[in-house]
Amino acid sequence: MADSIANVQDTIARPGEEGIRARLRRYRELRLTEEELATVLLTPVLLFLLGLSFYPILDTVWASLHTGYVIELPGQQRAFVGLENYRQILLPIGETRFWNAFGVSMFYTFVSVPAELVFGLGLALLLQKEFTYKYVAQAAILFPWALPTVINAKVWAWMLHPDYGVISDILVRLGLLAEPYAFLSKPDIALYTMTGITIWKTTSFMALILLAGLSSIPDQLYEAARIDGASRWRQFRDITLPLLKPTLLVALIFRTLPAFQAFGLPFGLTGGGPGEATATLVLYAQQAAYNNPGPTNGGFATGSAAATLITLIALVIALVYVTTLYEPEVR
Amino acid sequence: MSVRDLTLEDVAFWEVGKRLGYFGSILAIVLISMFPVFWILISSLKPSGELFVFPIEYLPYTVSFENGISIVQQYPLTLENYETALAQRPVGQYLLNSLIVASGTAVLDVALGALAGYSLSRLNFRYKLPVLLLILFTALLPFISRLIPLYKLAIDLGGTPVGGFLGLNTYLGLILPYAAFQLPFAVWIFQAYFKELPDSLEEAGLMDGLSRIGVLFRIILPVSMPAMATAAIIVFIYAWNEFLFALTFMTEDSKRTITVGIALFGNQFSTPWGTITAAVFLSLIPLLLFMFFFQQKIVEGMTSGVGKA
Repeated sequence: MADSIANVQDTIARPGEEGIRARLRRYRELRLTEEELATVLLTPVLLFLLGLSFYPILDTVWASLHTGYVIELPGQQRAFVGLENYRQILLPIGETRFWNAFGVSMFYTFVSVPAELVFGLGLALLLQKEFTYKYVAQAAILFPWALPTVINAKVWAWMLHPDYGVISDILVRLGLLAEPYAFLSKPDIALYTMTGITIWKTTSFMALILLAGLSSIPDQLYEAARIDGASRWRQFRDITLPLLKPTLLVALIFRTLPAFQAFGLPFGLTGGGPGEATATLVLYAQQAAYNNPGPTNGGFATGSAAATLITLIALVIALVYVTTLYEPEVR
Repeated sequence: MSVRDLTLEDVAFWEVGKRLGYFGSILAIVLISMFPVFWILISSLKPSGELFVFPIEYLPYTVSFENGISIVQQYPLTLENYETALAQRPVGQYLLNSLIVASGTAVLDVALGALAGYSLSRLNFRYKLPVLLLILFTALLPFISRLIPLYKLAIDLGGTPVGGFLGLNTYLGLILPYAAFQLPFAVWIFQAYFKELPDSLEEAGLMDGLSRIGVLFRIILPVSMPAMATAAIIVFIYAWNEFLFALTFMTEDSKRTITVGIALFGNQFSTPWGTITAAVFLSLIPLLLFMFFFQQKIVEGMTSGVGKA
């Protein structure tokens, strides 16, 4: 900030050029320089994040390199095992639960997010228009997004009930089905259904973010393009898309990372079944940690290794998005 | 039909058709979005015998045209599912727990977020960008990677004097992690808002002899009520909806939040759909009210900084 008054005040009270006594008096009168004030305001925030975000991550990585016990009894010592937990997850002798969960999460994420993007863009273009009671419509459309994921899972589990589900009933009445269909009982269909539910739930979120981005594009650009005879498609490709890039980055990151961490939906909808057909990575990691204390390693070691892998994949995804879509010179 | 053949009536029809199509599609999307709420309400009011029939009766009453027009009851409406749900499980307590945890998280994040957002948008200091990036970076970290250490910490603290309010089954035990996880979003909302404020606000305050802290507390924070409301609502919704940590940290039934309470309804042998739909509908009432009152703020919060960054 280039305000002269602040500079005057800062020269009166520049640290280093004043005695300790003057400085203490200044502190007592709560007259701080910008730098001192920033330190005071940000220290609690940074300590908070250090304790509750950075320390746990590092501890997870550390725990993934050791044997682990769900609850450590006296006399039990964690032993360093190097990458053994990772080997057991990534190169298992028997069932490959991690790779199955990886496939499920990748399908779920990278089918639902592009679909939400397409539908969301369509919905955003619809909502660009103003009309009376638009806020009521908007609140209703946004409602699925605000619905708690696990409650949403229960709602859909009921609507997709194998014998008495309302979705089956509607499809039968429309003549699309002959009898009730058990959407959640067949491995492939269950995963498609779960993906569809999440598209239903979060398209409106995508739409409202894209709408904010669309409304920040100046109308004059489109007018100029129209005068030059550009088609609708050319306008979309050469004006809308490039100027929407920063918004797309935000929207994609905000949707991809939560989708990649899906837990409540498979937990409440199918419990990961049938078999492991809808077991996402986080469901797998949570079950490895809490349901499944293995014979040699406690579940926490396996869970920690799985959590570390999930973190690495999430950071890679974020990095790919940022490097492909971030353009600081756009504005 | 060539352009010349178009009459004024044709144009009017076309316009009416366009409007019908437009509002028709809006209405269709609203119906698709809200249908589950309607369906949960209908299911929760059905007597248990009516729940498990196929084809399904949708409405409790229909209009019959046999022997003139009359209204025919398809099934009686009943509150028995609500009575069972409230008798079996402390649904009210679940809702109260969720309210306490979500409000606590919102208050903490508004306080910390406002201070951090102010520093990061309106003060000059070294390491400003690295600090902002460090805070925003934590938003990228998966929750599961913080679950196990914090769970172990809560167990360890359980045996110490602070265990009564920081261990498992304590409100703060959930509020603190939630607040840390949502803090980057709160900081982002505040710094986007503060960036838009005119410099003259602070200049006037400093000119009048206020210290920087005085400017912050007497001028900046009072005018940032809109950002506070936005951040509080976004954080509140997140905390209200969270499931993974709530499931792990709240092992006592009386401390469970509504998401965990509903997810654990029933047992592995039977799923009491009537009572579940009743409990679900009870949990939807506050959310529905919230959405209709705060829709504008929610959209502002979700989209703050979009298109401006």
